[in-house]
Amino acid sequence: MKRILSAVAACILAVSAFGQAKKPVIMVVPSDILCERIGCTVKYDNGGLQASYPDYEKAFKSSDELRTMISAVAEFMAQNGFPIQSLEQELKRLKNESVEMGLMTGKEEGGFIEETAIERLRRNAKADIILNLDYKVTKLGPRRQIEFNLQAVDAYTSKIISGNTGVSSAVSASTPITSILEESVLSFKDNFLSGLQRHFDDLFENGREITVTLMRYDTCPIDFETEYEINDYDVEFADIIEAWFADKCVQGRFTLDSKSANRMRFTQVRMPLYDVNPINGKEVAIDANGFVRSLVRMLKKEPYNLVVGVTPKGLGEVWITLGDK
Amino acid sequence: MKRFLFTLLVTCFLFSNCYATNKDRRKSFKSWDNYEITTEKVGQDGTKFVKVWGFGKSVDKAIMNAKKNAVHACIFRGLPGASTANPTPPLVKDPDCLEKNIDYFEKFFEAGGAYLGYINLTTDGVPAGQDRRKVKGGYKVALYIQVMYDNLKVKLENDGIIRKLNSGF
Repeated sequence: MKRILSAVAACILAVSAFGQAKKPVIMVVPSDILCERIGCTVKYDNGGLQASYPDYEKAFKSSDELRTMISAVAEFMAQNGFPIQSLEQELKRLKNESVEMGLMTGKEEGGFIEETAIERLRRNAKADIILNLDYKVTKLGPRRQIEFNLQAVDAYTSKIISGNTGVSSAVSASTPITSILEESVLSFKDNFLSGLQRHFDDLFENGREITVTLMRYDTCPIDFETEYEINDYDVEFADIIEAWFADKCVQGRFTLDSKSANRMRFTQVRMPLYDVNPINGKEVAIDANGFVRSLVRMLKKEPYNLVVGVTPKGLGEVWITLGDK
Repeated sequence: MKRFLFTLLVTCFLFSNCYATNKDRRKSFKSWDNYEITTEKVGQDGTKFVKVWGFGKSVDKAIMNAKKNAVHACIFRGLPGASTANPTPPLVKDPDCLEKNIDYFEKFFEAGGAYLGYINLTTDGVPAGQDRRKVKGGYKVALYIQVMYDNLKVKLENDGIIRKLNSGF
């Protein structure tokens, strides 16, 4: 009886450990065209060409409509178990973090927090799925109508997961804009959620789609064209890495996007959502960083003996550097 | 003897009739696609406002069928778009879902079944004018119905018929 009970308990534990994949972070970001339209961009001279980038802080401060739209989207996403990360708050947090980091000194030695330029660059607002928001108020004679567009974009593959347009009914100019904004969101939300559901179903069936980039420092003793003898065949280092992907991907699905002596980029890599943790032997949910762990281990061992650096860039993208970290 | 034979005959007739009715009901349930529905406008949050037609031998039966059709459309067919409202996809994506859960849905859609809990507002008075038509074999009536779409979705999620958006995470 005890054995049966312990077996059942083990099964439950295994299922609970196995059952939860890593949850993507979702963030609503005003589209570039919207920022341009509402005059919230920063213009700069790019080698003689006039260029601009969106000023999100200004957009959040100056547009009530934008806040209403984001609130409406956030509400229905939260209702469906995906509370979205606030870009506005994230920008504030990063600003405060920078100030605090600049002021912090060690208690004993009076040292400062060290941060390289690349670390500073990477410390920005990140999301796994970006909800790109755009809306436009159209005047139809004395009435107003709102066209609304929301695209869910996978941050790593740049693929549009779900994209929908909502249109409010044409109402008189005296109707508060917030109510027509809300109507346009309600009009499209079920279609949009259905698109997201389709993406998640695909993710559970075929694995998470990620991007892996391998790069070589000039300190690396080999490059991707170096040949090794395996089973009496001369095989390029790049082919060995490609074989690893063919072996580890769900149904061997991946695309070798680019390949040269110094760089390899794998896209549309379908990684499994779970793997065995080598430290405790348990099944755990993994992201792109966890997926390439065994590749990194392989590269550190004989016959390669490489110094390997891994830089995760969210759930679905990872950079591997050879020759240094 | 005659009385016995008569009783036997009546019993057999009733049994076969009942069996046939059940069989027909199942059959008609499975081929439940013959109705018209249009989205009227964007409903309040979590609801769908539709105009749906129902057919029945009497006006009352047609009204009941129209209500069933509205919920059926939300679950299996989806709602078509209109000039002011986007289309709504069906809650059930799997085309075999009805087959797989036939007992669940028969119970859900039985007379006075759980489906009625997802119809919030109707023109429950007897439809008149263009919305009530006498057709061969009965009546065809149109109702304006507010379906509690989000509640219906939660019900199906909780009953394991459809997946939650965040299930697995």
